[in-house]
Amino acid sequence: MSKNCPECGSSRVVEDDLYSQKQWVCEDCGSVVSEGLLTTTLSEESHSRAVPFFTSTAAFKKPCRNLVSGFSRLRALCRIFRLSSSMEDASANLFERAYNHPNFLHISLSKKQILAGCCMFHICRQNSWPVFMGTIGYLLDADNYQMGTIYQELTKSLNLQTTQVCITRMLESFCYDFKLAPDEVEEVFSVAQQRLVDQTSALLELAADTWILTGRRPFPLFLAAVYVAWQSLNPLARMKYSLMKFCKIAKAPEQLWCKSKDTINKRLNELLEVLCKLGRELPWVRPTDIQMNTVTTLVEDILKHRKALLILAVKHYEKQLEETQTSQYSESELSDSKSSVQTQCKSPPDEEDEGCELPPDHWGKRHLFLPPCVRTQKRQKINEAPLEVTGDEDISDSEIESYIRSEEEIKLFAKARKKICKY
Amino acid sequence: MNMDEEASLESYFDQTIAGSSDYIFEGDLGLQGSTSQLQDSSFLSSLASQEKDLTEDLDLSFLPDELSTQDEPSQVEKESKNEDSGIYTDCPQKESTQADIDTSNSAQNTSQFNLPMTPMTPMTPMTPVAESSGIIPQLQNIVSTVNLACPLDLKSIALQARNAEYNPKRFAAVIMRIREPRTTALIFSSGKMVCTGAKSSEEQSRLAARKYARVVQKLGFPAKFLDFKIQNMVGSCDVCFPIRLEGLVLTHQQFSSYEPELFPGLIYRMVKPRIVLLIFVSGKVVLTGAKERSEIYEAFENIYPILKGFRKQ
Repeated sequence: MSKNCPECGSSRVVEDDLYSQKQWVCEDCGSVVSEGLLTTTLSEESHSRAVPFFTSTAAFKKPCRNLVSGFSRLRALCRIFRLSSSMEDASANLFERAYNHPNFLHISLSKKQILAGCCMFHICRQNSWPVFMGTIGYLLDADNYQMGTIYQELTKSLNLQTTQVCITRMLESFCYDFKLAPDEVEEVFSVAQQRLVDQTSALLELAADTWILTGRRPFPLFLAAVYVAWQSLNPLARMKYSLMKFCKIAKAPEQLWCKSKDTINKRLNELLEVLCKLGRELPWVRPTDIQMNTVTTLVEDILKHRKALLILAVKHYEKQLEETQTSQYSESELSDSKSSVQTQCKSPPDEEDEGCELPPDHWGKRHLFLPPCVRTQKRQKINEAPLEVTGDEDISDSEIESYIRSEEEIKLFAKARKKICKY
Repeated sequence: MNMDEEASLESYFDQTIAGSSDYIFEGDLGLQGSTSQLQDSSFLSSLASQEKDLTEDLDLSFLPDELSTQDEPSQVEKESKNEDSGIYTDCPQKESTQADIDTSNSAQNTSQFNLPMTPMTPMTPMTPVAESSGIIPQLQNIVSTVNLACPLDLKSIALQARNAEYNPKRFAAVIMRIREPRTTALIFSSGKMVCTGAKSSEEQSRLAARKYARVVQKLGFPAKFLDFKIQNMVGSCDVCFPIRLEGLVLTHQQFSSYEPELFPGLIYRMVKPRIVLLIFVSGKVVLTGAKERSEIYEAFENIYPILKGFRKQ
């Protein structure tokens, strides 16, 4: 409201707030023309709302309780994994950033706990500190699926650069779990830590070259490789101990091998198969002597010469394939169906193991070493012939009517539903 | 073994390694060359004849000038096996090597290739001719939405329709299925509908959506067919060689995410076109996130040279 100042008569009267009390003040002479109410009325006091925390003008806002407990959990985790203080601080910073990000501010408490684990995991990865996501999940009582979703959400929301896992360092920390020092177990079982790590990493290199490692969870293969390495370092004495026995001897933590026994055995078999294929190329061993359960005795030699053996194995396989191909062509000229079936079954011995699962002209047959998922062909889906449609065709009424219930059906259905709903 | 024997053994193995000039698993490439199993010559010739019809109609003026001049040398190179036209994707020139020609063998694993010569086929070169890879991704799923533009009584639809299920406590829509084309639709009370499960063409999805709309009409609602839009297309194919995912994630870090503990495949987020590819060690590739068929083909043509680079290592 614009009045004239009673003191000086000017019309420049402006509104001003003094301690949240409205006043009308003349700009020229400074006199207060009129004032508003300073106190609140009873109706305002009883019906107005308190100022909520997040809109308050408090200069120092206490950090959220959940954030504080998240920090303490995070630091506890860092201590379990023996992270350096700089890494611990980096994890705490990342956790704070992530916690306050809109994508994570309103998620459930259990997910916030997992978020703490994921932040630590990311920092570990950045510094090549070997940690399995599964181990963190085990400590937080979360499975890989939950850890994975939150980890991926974290990297996407904060635009983090993911670093790849360093297999050798993972292996070192993995082998650390197995207590096989001379003073911990009997002489027969003991092995120097570094020797075990070297042997296992050579085996893993072999596994990577022959497609057993790519695309698989690393843990079961690590365990199988450690087992084979341990056996191979003193095969005559250790051959008779099964994988489970070995875990007990080495006092490996239970959670490692309890859950995925089947997968571990599968990986073990795949590794032994590869070793057999290479063992056959050793010039001083008869091919018939190579069996899955005795190949461990030859592992030392195989690992020493693995590069050459790989090349030899592939060369021989190619030669065999060529021979069977040419014999197939000459057979087909005779157009004798019986003999062509015979030549197909005479194909390289590796194929017989799979029982000729792959179709005859599948590209996989040309490779000696192949990811196992290619060899095991699942049941072929029935590929329906693609419909040639324009999208604008006429739709027959009869077809549509076949999808609609008749009157009687509706009555029956309604009756039945009423009866069910009674109970 | 005494020292002499060991030395001779070492030299035997060293000779083996020295003799092999290729890195360890290049042997398979050599194999492919010697046992070149050409796919059906009829298939190739039918492709070639269709090619020639298309080239007359193709308008290449939209390509930048440098590309159209580069057409000739590459044409000559590829003419020998595939007889394809000079349709260019974003794939850079230098990555199409001689090895491309060998991989035309692998196309035999894909199912019958149908060039959709329907009126809806645009005249711009979007049809996937066998170009540098010889492999064409097959569409596996198409998701589309349409607005029926009238409020629907889901209970009455579930009562009257044979092929409908409605469980309001679990999900607030009717799930309806038809046999031909085999698809599933989610019908919401607002009148909006999502149609999924159509394979191999956008027209199938449109036909299916129209059938659902017809069913809803027959049930007594004034359903229309507004704003039909393809929301997502999923394709898949097989490059027929195993892929070193660990190597791929190292060189293409900013696009790839490979966590073997979480998922066996590598997730590659391509920027142009904006497609997500799932690449598996067996050589199978799944492409998703496309709004148009051409995006899937383009994405595959972009990734194929990259994948081939990881075959030899």
